[in-house]
Amino acid sequence: MSFISLLGVELKKIRRSGIFIILFAAAVFMWLPAIFHGDVNFKTQAEIGITPEHNFLIQGFMGLAWFMFPACMVVCTVLICQTERGNHGILKMLALPLNTGKLCLAKFAVLLALGMCFLLFSTVIYFVSAAIVSKTQSYDFMLSPVFVLKEAGLIFLTSIPMMAFFWLLSVCIRTPIFAMGAGFASIVPSVLMINTKFWFAYPMAYPFFAVTNEYAKLAERMAPNSIDYVLWGSIALSVTLICIFVSCFCFGQGERR
Amino acid sequence: MSGFLELKKVKRTGLWPAVFGGGILAALVPIINTAVRKEVFLQMEGSALAILMNENWQMMAMLNLLFVAASACLLYHTEYGDNAIQRMNTLPQRESKMFFDKFFLLSAFCLIMFTIEGAGLAFSAVHCFPGDGKILRDAAINMGYAFVLILPGVLFMLLISAACKNMWISLGIGVICVFTATMLPGDNFALSLFPFALPFHIIPGAKVLAEKYMIALGGEMVLGILAAITFFKVRRLFA
Repeated sequence: MSFISLLGVELKKIRRSGIFIILFAAAVFMWLPAIFHGDVNFKTQAEIGITPEHNFLIQGFMGLAWFMFPACMVVCTVLICQTERGNHGILKMLALPLNTGKLCLAKFAVLLALGMCFLLFSTVIYFVSAAIVSKTQSYDFMLSPVFVLKEAGLIFLTSIPMMAFFWLLSVCIRTPIFAMGAGFASIVPSVLMINTKFWFAYPMAYPFFAVTNEYAKLAERMAPNSIDYVLWGSIALSVTLICIFVSCFCFGQGERR
Repeated sequence: MSGFLELKKVKRTGLWPAVFGGGILAALVPIINTAVRKEVFLQMEGSALAILMNENWQMMAMLNLLFVAASACLLYHTEYGDNAIQRMNTLPQRESKMFFDKFFLLSAFCLIMFTIEGAGLAFSAVHCFPGDGKILRDAAINMGYAFVLILPGVLFMLLISAACKNMWISLGIGVICVFTATMLPGDNFALSLFPFALPFHIIPGAKVLAEKYMIALGGEMVLGILAAITFFKVRRLFA
């Protein structure tokens, strides 16, 4: 079976899971506080010199990159693993003459697709909420779609190592509470990690760090961090590859005993 | 009898290690924080526990809430996972009875976690402010207050997990609720009564009297219990 057809099968499996409703609701709830507190965007202009419309976007994306996106990805890994384990569906999949590594990669691709989908939802809801806030505050909060998509793309790119790590957790830890718990517990300290010198060693902090850096770039009175791209890139790439490799190796081992 | 049954059911789910792991992880937050920023803490005013709670509780409460969300999902996943709930429903026992048994179990788990966290807080308080004589009493009061405040969250999270057959749906709703709670402004009394926002409150920083919160919390509990009883009755009718 080719990778593309496997991916199609995996996408069909999550069709009736209701995950899209959850992701959509998460995106809506993420922007609701921003709509209610539209007026705070004008205060930051005097303080650190960022325009209100940029502040509105980046503050929302900070909440996304810090907690909502990683937590939703943990939920998605639970979904992808548990749909198969219910009624032992995974045993039937493993009985087929398939390369299990390929199967694992297809499932990881589904996770990436879900992440992309969530970011797309958030971007769409951003435009809706920006339109609403523009009405209520009588100030144009709309930014060019190219810029917004660029920021969303940045979050997606920087979170690939994180997603690979969560995927590794859910494949290798067979008890769901530990997979979930380890995922959640690793999200919470990322606020602390981005302020240390070793943030690049912690994949869960990448998206939040990247967005915070964007914020500093847009604000006149904040200095963006100087980033060693070679070091960061090599660590991120090796974390991603190691996580994917180990999870492909471990996939289905518990069931085939 | 069935109360002990619920305890037996969690034996192989890994919930026991998760309680201790979560508690120790949350207790490490103040310990590491004091180890790194001792000088900053020493310059602040107020009692030892007030300073420590102000600086650390946000993160600890978040860990507690995420633990409650994950374990509530898991407690019902053991029922829904392999259709065990159908066997439970054929027993001469109300469905709401099982729900309240699970509620007591999860509350007991929270109590264990808060004990560990209180020990962690007291440890770092003794380390940082050796002169303060009321540390143990303060830690006990703070953790007792935190325990009472998390109860509505436990109740509503369990209700969500009982309502949704799939674990990821209830976990997703839980995650959304926790995130919304972190975003709510703290100075608005009505909004701070959201069950998932309550655990973020602490005694020292509370602007509104603790009694007011207790009354509101009692109301929420009664509402949650009534909602649970009606929910199970109605679901039985349409099953």
